Amino acid sequence: MQLFFQTLVGGIGFGAVYALVGMGFTIVYRTMGLVNFAHGQIAMIGAFLSATFFLDTKLPFAVAAIMSMAATAVVGLAIEGILRPLEARDFDLMLIGTLGFGVVLEAVATRIWGATGRAVPAPVDRPLQIFGIIIRTYDLVVIGVGAVATVAVWVLLNRTKAGAAMQAVAMDRDAATSVGIRVGRSNAMAFALGAGLAALAGSLAAPLLYVTPSLGSSLGIKGFCAAILGGFGNINGAVIGGLAFGILDGFAAGHFQQYSDTVTFLVFAVAIMVRPTGILGELTVNRA
Amino acid sequence: MTRKAAGLVLLAVLACLLPHQLNIYWIHVADVAVIYGILALGLALTMGAAGQVNLAQVAFFGVGAYASAILTTHGWPFWVAAIVALLAAALVGLLVSIPALRVQSHYLGIVTLGLSLAFTNLVTNTALTGQADGLNSLVVPPLFGLNLSSDLVYYYVEIVALALCLAWAAFVVHTRLGRRFRAMRDDPLAAASIGAEIPYLRITAFVLGAVFGGVAGVLYAGLIRYVSPASFSLSSMFFVLAGFIIGGRFSLLGAVGGAVFLVLLREELSNYEAYAQILYGGLVVVIVVFAPTGLVGIVRSVAKAFKRRTERFSEGRAQVSDEASPTGLSARPYRAVRLSDGGSLAGVADSSAALLIEHVTKRFRGLTALEDVDLLVPAGQIRGIVGPNGSGKTTLFNIISGIYAPTTGTTEVFGFRTTRATSYRLARRGVARTFQNLRLFGRLTVRDNVLVALDQSRTIWAWRYLLWPFGVLRADAVMRQEADALLALYGLLEVADSLPGVLSYGTQRRVEIARAMARRPRILLLDEPAAGLNGQEMHQLAEIVRDVRASGVTVVLIEHNMGLVMSLCDQVTVLASGRVIADNVPEVVAYDEAVIAAYLGESSGDNGPRPAQVNT
Repeated sequence: MQLFFQTLVGGIGFGAVYALVGMGFTIVYRTMGLVNFAHGQIAMIGAFLSATFFLDTKLPFAVAAIMSMAATAVVGLAIEGILRPLEARDFDLMLIGTLGFGVVLEAVATRIWGATGRAVPAPVDRPLQIFGIIIRTYDLVVIGVGAVATVAVWVLLNRTKAGAAMQAVAMDRDAATSVGIRVGRSNAMAFALGAGLAALAGSLAAPLLYVTPSLGSSLGIKGFCAAILGGFGNINGAVIGGLAFGILDGFAAGHFQQYSDTVTFLVFAVAIMVRPTGILGELTVNRA
Repeated sequence: MTRKAAGLVLLAVLACLLPHQLNIYWIHVADVAVIYGILALGLALTMGAAGQVNLAQVAFFGVGAYASAILTTHGWPFWVAAIVALLAAALVGLLVSIPALRVQSHYLGIVTLGLSLAFTNLVTNTALTGQADGLNSLVVPPLFGLNLSSDLVYYYVEIVALALCLAWAAFVVHTRLGRRFRAMRDDPLAAASIGAEIPYLRITAFVLGAVFGGVAGVLYAGLIRYVSPASFSLSSMFFVLAGFIIGGRFSLLGAVGGAVFLVLLREELSNYEAYAQILYGGLVVVIVVFAPTGLVGIVRSVAKAFKRRTERFSEGRAQVSDEASPTGLSARPYRAVRLSDGGSLAGVADSSAALLIEHVTKRFRGLTALEDVDLLVPAGQIRGIVGPNGSGKTTLFNIISGIYAPTTGTTEVFGFRTTRATSYRLARRGVARTFQNLRLFGRLTVRDNVLVALDQSRTIWAWRYLLWPFGVLRADAVMRQEADALLALYGLLEVADSLPGVLSYGTQRRVEIARAMARRPRILLLDEPAAGLNGQEMHQLAEIVRDVRASGVTVVLIEHNMGLVMSLCDQVTVLASGRVIADNVPEVVAYDEAVIAAYLGESSGDNGPRPAQVNT
């Protein structure tokens, strides 16, 4: 039982990271119609930036993470410019184009930070004991930060004018244009927001995983799986899917050790076959 | 055609002469390049031809390589092991294809990518596969006493293998199986409506791709004689995908060429690995944005522009050329072929019901699109279905043709219960249809559009591809003749080699009817066939429909043009808000109070009855 809860908390911790990746991914997809397979690599860039600020510039972890978010959001604006021609193309081309761009980002990161990667120590490492369950304090930090970020995104999208504009663009691009929303600017903001969330996910994941250029593809794939598991294009779905995927991943690692990836992806494949629209469902219109 | 053949021969000769220009090291690189070419060929089948996103190709590659490595280290003869390895790859392909039955596009991308990761994870940790170290000192393949440890000899063996793979892939793509693949890629819904068994086709596509991956894997194990997880990682997957895209995803030769090119490029830049990665990743983005058909597409459009230019020069300026520009292609007028005018109810009409719909209700979540609809269409009738926008006409068609299953109620086609039948099964039962917003296969020529529909065989028929290819070729030649006869009948022979997209809207509509009629259906469903047609085309449409009925086919058509409905139909059913509000001969329906109210609003009914003439 004790082990069960420890695994659960650890899984939720990873789940929070996947939820952040999935959320950023979903925001970009909803507003711009861009399925961005390079999203994980953006998170990886964020992880490297935050590791650099934290380890080399010796800034406090929180400050490093926030600076990384800001910097990655700015990088995101440039990336959005590059990927703009891919928006609203057919999904297969988008998938391949952004995969290609992900390869570029990974190579750029290898050039800058090297292929060996860096280990980032957790900012808080004293284990906590609650009801006899030993919990890594850092897991709680990740969960807390993830929850705060989720609420912040919700407020931003539902309680601010910029957020309303993004939602409007998501629903109907032309109608949004006709009521005076600058679609281009709104999209850029959405992408910057997505990139910032990715950077936060990367920063939080850095102490849990080892920061290497290939961190991007594993974070990206699992974050994308999370988004699909929750319900593609559904922001609440991304959060729920992220947590579900994190817990799945955690228990797979607990029970099957080195084979955890095999088990996780097989279970994911089966889950998606059983319920292709995910836990919360995505609404598609199919008109013959 | 002869030009293309000459080009291929030239390529083959160059490929055979190539090693004499290279040193030992580069011959080895060329060996690897050819293997990647075969690997990319698998992608060209699964993804390029059949449109199934396949990011597990590298896992199929790995299964082939590992299976051959494991079996040969356990003492199996190389070629027996190779065959078992191919079967293993095919089996894994079959398993990976199962998610494709439920999800498509980017979903399928992520699922196959995940399974690919699962494969790497598995071989990295299993003792049988040598874990992270892999398996080494594998055997040299024996072949008629040839020394295959020499990279030069191996190169020639590979070239033969590549040529065979390429020829067989081209054979598949250009005959009926591949035609169905391409139809499914362009529009799965329309493909199912003409009898393509989508689930089996998807499985077949993955299995074929996997077998090519397996061939590449066996050759890889024989060449390198060492297999390890690193060779089958995600970066290898992106690498072969990049080659496939850069070369041209709709061209077999392009995919092979792209992959070979990338391997050579990577080797040339091996001292600047990160830069090579930036280069090929960037190249993929550029290709996707500016030339989605890849280098092959660029070469083709350049060749076309060049050809047009030389033609113009040779013709001289005297002619006012380009008056018949390629987009000005037009169909010949349709000539009625009926021997006797059917009148109102043709002789074929009898007591049997072609179509029987009872108590059908269809709900989409909260929305009720159809409620308790009954419909009986006697064989040989021309039935009109009219109703305001959103009254459920197309939903009704989608239920009849098996795209939706009704929430409650039953449907029967010629006495067979078809309530839960899939689209392709209904097509096999003799139901053919057209679509409101044209659903032609955009990358297939007009002739191929018709050929796909003419093909009445089941997917299982495709065993001939493996065991009796001549049967396939012969059947294709017969089908081609039938297609041309049908195209001639519909006045489409002149445009047979064009893509539908360059034709006028009216002609495209006619192509869709010809495609539906190629099924030799017993019931033809036409969804707003007159939408967007001009007066003359509309007249021709009426001729076509009368001829179709005269040939014994029951016709049901949805139409807004009341003039056409009144003159053409034997009986008219009126839908409003998902219910049948009138069902009678046109003359009665036109003066029906409820119909007039539904069309013109309640208040306008108070000036006494008048015909519901709208849109004439």
